[in-house]
Amino acid sequence: MALNTLVVDDSSVMRSIIIKTLKLSGLPLGEIWEAKNGEEGLRVLQDKWIDLALVDIHMPVMDGEEMLTRLRENNQYENLPVIVVSSESEPSKIEKMLKLGATFIHKPFTPEILKDVIIAVTGVSNEETD
Amino acid sequence: MKKQIENILRESTIKTFEDICFIYQVPELKDDQKKLTLEAAAEVKFRGNYTGKLMIETRGGLFSAIAANMLSNEVPSIQQKKDALGEVANIICGNVVPSLGRSEPEYKIESPTCLNTDDVLKEYKKLKPLAEVSLNFNQGRADIKLFVNNYSVTKEK
Repeated sequence: MALNTLVVDDSSVMRSIIIKTLKLSGLPLGEIWEAKNGEEGLRVLQDKWIDLALVDIHMPVMDGEEMLTRLRENNQYENLPVIVVSSESEPSKIEKMLKLGATFIHKPFTPEILKDVIIAVTGVSNEETD
Repeated sequence: MKKQIENILRESTIKTFEDICFIYQVPELKDDQKKLTLEAAAEVKFRGNYTGKLMIETRGGLFSAIAANMLSNEVPSIQQKKDALGEVANIICGNVVPSLGRSEPEYKIESPTCLNTDDVLKEYKKLKPLAEVSLNFNQGRADIKLFVNNYSVTKEK
């Protein structure tokens, strides 16, 4: 199963790092799409088939919390695996994202952590990563 | 409390450089490394329970090395270098600000900005940081300073 992946972060550098990590992970990847805020991310989701979204919290125009809230209001995306990748440390903010069905990875992260979490949330089997 | 914040600042910086930049700390600054010229700086402002900013300065080639490693690009553009340094500052700030002591911290971190080095040398000389660390790497040196307005331990729970 090839994962069509959406990376949402206002930092072009962080998007590049995440994409580089994805490509080096050995995970079965399909298309990778980028967005620099939640609003753009939702537009990509309308147009493309996405299997996994990696989303920052703090972004201009529309932040990650609002994006995820709107996403879950749409039945089509209620089960979309979402990984929040953020330097946010405040427990109540993290809790909000978890309640919206996201998994949380704290920045800074190692490539191994990102890969392990993606495997856990998408159900990609280890055999596929060999 | 100040020592605790400084420890968190140091640990967050080391971890950020290791995990995101694949740049590892080496022991103590040598005398010639202490005298390196400032090459770049970025700041991240935050507001909420406290307002302030975190600044990172680089010396000795670290400015290029950060971007080169983060982006796997041996010759990053100046914009890529600025963006990469700003992102490092952003991540460190996000990890440090919650340690300022409020039991339920509320804060907003603004987008990072790269600074003119002349302004850094003039403006920041007047300010006293709450915490600061200097770290040495094979690729250069980083100095990180946390400035917090009106910080008082007696305000904390």
